[in-house]
Amino acid sequence: MDRMDRNVVVPGDQLSDDPKKAGEGTYVRDGIVRSLLYGMASSYKDKVRVIPLAGKYVPSPGDTVIGTVQDIVFSNWIVNINSPYEGLLHISELPRKIEMNEMSKYLRIGSSVMVRVKDVDSTMKVELTMNDRRLGILTRGRVAEISPTRVPRLIGKGGSMINMLKKELNCNIFVGQNGRIWVDGNDDDMDLALKTILIIEKEAHTTGLTDRIMEFLRSEKEARS
Amino acid sequence: MSDVVMAEIRKDYLYHLVLKGERADGRAFDEYREIVLETGPVKKADGSALVKLGNTQVMVGVKIQPGEPFSDTPNKGVIITNAELVPLASPSFEPGPPNEVGIELARVVDRGVRESGAIDLEALCITPGEKVWIVFIDVHVLDDCGNLMDASSLGAIAALMTAKVPAAQYALGEDYPLPVKDVPVATTAVEFGDAIIFDPDTDEESVADTKLTVITTADGLVCGMQKSGPGFISQDHIYRIVDIACERAKEIREKFLEV
Amino acid sequence: MIGMDEKLSFFKDGLRLDGRRPDELRPIKMEVGVLARADGSCYMEMGENKVMAAVYGPREVHPRHLQEATRAIVRYRYNMASFSVEERKRPGPDRRSNEVSKVSREALEPVILTSYFPKSVVDVFVEVLQADAGTRTAGINAASVALADAGIPMKSLISSCAAGKVDGEIVLDPMKIEDNFGEADVPIAMTPSGDITLLQMDGRLTPEEFRRALELAKAGCQQIYEIQRRVLVDRYSHVEGEICEEPSAAAEEEI
Repeated sequence: MDRMDRNVVVPGDQLSDDPKKAGEGTYVRDGIVRSLLYGMASSYKDKVRVIPLAGKYVPSPGDTVIGTVQDIVFSNWIVNINSPYEGLLHISELPRKIEMNEMSKYLRIGSSVMVRVKDVDSTMKVELTMNDRRLGILTRGRVAEISPTRVPRLIGKGGSMINMLKKELNCNIFVGQNGRIWVDGNDDDMDLALKTILIIEKEAHTTGLTDRIMEFLRSEKEARS
Repeated sequence: MSDVVMAEIRKDYLYHLVLKGERADGRAFDEYREIVLETGPVKKADGSALVKLGNTQVMVGVKIQPGEPFSDTPNKGVIITNAELVPLASPSFEPGPPNEVGIELARVVDRGVRESGAIDLEALCITPGEKVWIVFIDVHVLDDCGNLMDASSLGAIAALMTAKVPAAQYALGEDYPLPVKDVPVATTAVEFGDAIIFDPDTDEESVADTKLTVITTADGLVCGMQKSGPGFISQDHIYRIVDIACERAKEIREKFLEV
Repeated sequence: MIGMDEKLSFFKDGLRLDGRRPDELRPIKMEVGVLARADGSCYMEMGENKVMAAVYGPREVHPRHLQEATRAIVRYRYNMASFSVEERKRPGPDRRSNEVSKVSREALEPVILTSYFPKSVVDVFVEVLQADAGTRTAGINAASVALADAGIPMKSLISSCAAGKVDGEIVLDPMKIEDNFGEADVPIAMTPSGDITLLQMDGRLTPEEFRRALELAKAGCQQIYEIQRRVLVDRYSHVEGEICEEPSAAAEEEI
């Protein structure tokens, strides 16, 4: 019995009897494609895949993430990136040259940074970089955290959701792949932004969300004025 | 399992809110989160209570068994309070015997019960010098989202108030309700710059350096106090916390403990 | 307490002391996602058993030397609250809880895809809040749901229950009084397709009786599986559509 009746599947649920269709989040045993995850099953380009409803962030090269500095060890900042794996930001990966004895002055423990994952090796050593004008130390604004599995929905198809939010909320918003989100604007706009983000996280799996959010924002802003 | 360093940007935000007279979840400084109290969830225990204080969840079980009295108090029953900060309740709790935080929690809960005279220890005497009732109060933390002290104390007194002395199974007569003579309630606040914040949640607890718990009795007497944390606390703040504690505790007694 | 000269009968008109048929499970209640701090959680009641299971992970291993280069390690800690049993139990692990933890871990490990998270740990914690025979099976059932709730990749859920022999009859899901005076206890755990991951037995059974007990327990596990699955699916019961059609490529953002 193919369990795609309501789209929510649990590990082991049968998705297809055609092994060629096995996509992300599935495995094949005895010719049957089954779910590996608690998530939503969907067909995408001839493949059946399962999008997780829960789970931790695993860093991947190219991801931009928001982290918090936990420690400084020799020439590396140890950065918490909301993952089972910590990130290492090496002194040479900054936009300018810093001496080892200036490290704490430049970037101290507790600081938040926007960085990119440069490399993840087979021992799960995660190398970060801040050497790009779009990356840097976060000195203002607020950082919220959602489940990394909801990030694609928060961004939306081609950025549709996130662009709508930036426009309607008059805030700078950056969504890290690791589920951390930075917002910057005036206090009231940031409050509304964070409130909206939490709603999106909660209802990520429902249809018509973008329209509902737009409606929500319009009515909140009307109520304010 | 080690504690994660909190982002400064988050700390700054909490302080910024406090300066405006606000908290992250919109509560007033002296406002408590929603409390849900369920008594008797563990029928096999002689008394039990599940307390939900916001997202914090604590289960307290009371077991009453006959045993030997302490040699220096041959006519008195015994109260033994323990708290288990089990690893399922928080990423920073590790398996093993209670550490100083767990021990402190148990001892402060115990202080409230003992010093208020809530349990008449002499009434727990069966045969002087030989046999008395031992009341075990076991706090089992299920979800630490801040302010375990108040949640655990509330659970303890609620479990005691609904407990039965299981005399029948020991051929010591019929089962009867444990006589409880007072209703101690703990009120905890943290110091945040110049402000005092009651019923702190996880973030507020991490940021604050100083915490004060005040336990009051049904008559409005102070029967227990504990300052914890490495910071200072001003006298003004102490007096204010005591005043508010009396009010808060009265409200909680009236609403949840039918007193 | 039962007098020495009284013989307690465990069956009356073919029904057990709590009114169940020999092949009937005790009533089950399950709730998923009940704890805020844990990554995954499940509260379960199986008859008078009350257990809470929580999963943290994958997360960093402490102490570091325990970590494995190519896969996550799985840890399982079964613990009984002092007030969970008839006579108050001293807090902390004892030899029994140590064994239960080991076999429970080994019941779940075969389906967890540990290779997805090298050098990390998946921690499973089960707290027994009230015990009435079958706490290890309840723990495994709740742990399995908590693992799914935490997003841990698995080949399938694991379901667990026990069969026993009481008054000469093979019965499903013995409760405490049946277990105390029974002649055998056979707890098992299995995947929905019948692969067994936990098997223990104590007592005295003929090979034929054992076969019947195993088949009965397997049937019980199937029923439990449907409940576990339902509680996970119903959580998102107002689902109508997909999250987002495109795979996880993020749009490039400007600061």
